[in-house]
Amino acid sequence: MVIDFNTLYHFPSRLDRVFEEFFKSPMGDDRRLAYPPLNLSNDDENIYVRAELPGVELADVELTLSDKTLVLKGERAAPQGKYYRQERQSGVFHRVVNIAVPVDRDKVKAVMTDGILTVTLPKAEDVKPRSINIEIA
Amino acid sequence: MSEIVKKEDRSPARYRPATDILEREDGFHIFIDLPGVSRENLHIDLQDDELTVRGRTILTPGQNERFSEMQFGECEYVRSISITDIVDRDKIKANLVGGVLELHLPKVEKVLPRKIEITAG
Repeated sequence: MVIDFNTLYHFPSRLDRVFEEFFKSPMGDDRRLAYPPLNLSNDDENIYVRAELPGVELADVELTLSDKTLVLKGERAAPQGKYYRQERQSGVFHRVVNIAVPVDRDKVKAVMTDGILTVTLPKAEDVKPRSINIEIA
Repeated sequence: MSEIVKKEDRSPARYRPATDILEREDGFHIFIDLPGVSRENLHIDLQDDELTVRGRTILTPGQNERFSEMQFGECEYVRSISITDIVDRDKIKANLVGGVLELHLPKVEKVLPRKIEITAG
């Protein structure tokens, strides 16, 4: 058989795993909580929602923006064949992101690059920070 | 100064990427999730009976970007897979599409039965 024997037979890989546990990232545990994992960030202009969705086409993702939430829905299909090992998530995914700031709905953009979905939500004009000139009398 | 150098040298978190191994009529197929890994940052090595896949993600947030939630980040994916003699090593193919690496490992052609000549001593 061709199967991945690592866990039983391959000592270096077991060692790798020990190091992997040792150097675990602080965000490591969050990765298992919900699928897909998300990064939420913002700057003065936009709110960014990024999701790890390897193997999912942008056309297969449904994005719904309501007043206060962005809903991310879709399905990831599992490849067909006789399985020896199955670790990749498959099936329906659904995540809801709270967007507390008003956004310009017409200018929302979604891009998929190397399996990472980036949704850019431009902030509405009235919530953007503005610099005000103060004239000294 | 030395502290800054130390921070820059720090290697990213290391993960074993989620992997599916399955068999079809045309051989074995291995699917490895490598979100955020581009072709330039992916390395596949075959040494003896061990196939090793290494991929690194490089995220480039904007200069003024502030994160409120971070469930994934820069990391290095490493996965080693042992393969056996029934795989035709010269015909292994790799394809990276949309953050998923697909490896196709065809089986070697069946060895045909041979007639062995017996010479009289």
